[in-house]
Amino acid sequence: MTDAQLDFETEALSYMDQLFAAALRMTRHRADAEDLVQETYSKAFAAQDKFKPGTNLKAWLYRIQTNAFINTYRKKQRQPKLSDAEQVEDWQIAAAAEHTSSGLASAEQEALETIGDDEVKQALAELPDDFRMAVYLSDVEGFAYKEIAEIMDTPVGTVMSRLHRGRKLLREKLRDYAADRGVYDKRQAATKDSGEVCHARKGV
Amino acid sequence: MPGRECEEALDRLFEYIDDELPQDELRRIGDHLKTCPPCEAEHKIKERIKNLTSRTGGETAPEELRERILASIRSAHD
Repeated sequence: MTDAQLDFETEALSYMDQLFAAALRMTRHRADAEDLVQETYSKAFAAQDKFKPGTNLKAWLYRIQTNAFINTYRKKQRQPKLSDAEQVEDWQIAAAAEHTSSGLASAEQEALETIGDDEVKQALAELPDDFRMAVYLSDVEGFAYKEIAEIMDTPVGTVMSRLHRGRKLLREKLRDYAADRGVYDKRQAATKDSGEVCHARKGV
Repeated sequence: MPGRECEEALDRLFEYIDDELPQDELRRIGDHLKTCPPCEAEHKIKERIKNLTSRTGGETAPEELRERILASIRSAHD
């Protein structure tokens, strides 16, 4: 075995914990996650010659794992892929509605302080695959949009759309959990959401 | 005009917290957030949720998985 091969193996194996944690998020089942990571490594070592030294090995492994997940596990789980139509949404218009009163915002901030890690994990698990992956790759792994685009084999614009929609859904779920525990008043929020406008928009 | 500044800041908040903006836009939005409490409140909420999700990783691969993978590499070398 050459030094280059040895370096490749050593570095690739150093990402096993991260790939496993990502696989858990992807498959949501421990046994499937283990199989997925094993499949990722056997594919990676078989395709070792195709990896360009000096490029991002971690992102390359994530791309292999993502493809394996889509091809094997998503089919098995029979979760439909999001259609193109669903992916096209003008989230930028929706962003304008996020300007709420400071009172409402601080109520939400306080509610978020009560959210536990298990609730965040549950909310993430409930997101559609593509949204969950985009959010995970950005927030947990710290990949840049361009890297997520390569990993998910999709344009950067789609990554941004998935992040926006995924985070919006995640936030709604966290609000719901807080409301269920009685620490966030959704009815009050709904009234204020539609009623209040940014002070600056009114030109005040 | 302040309305347009809010609109730009809100549109770009995710890119702002994800550190995906060029320096000049980063500075412009950062300056706006300092002077606009509603935009800053929204920024804080988004940032908080990103921090919450960033803590959800961290599981370690089971030892027997590590061994299985190492064994399959070794058998490929033989």
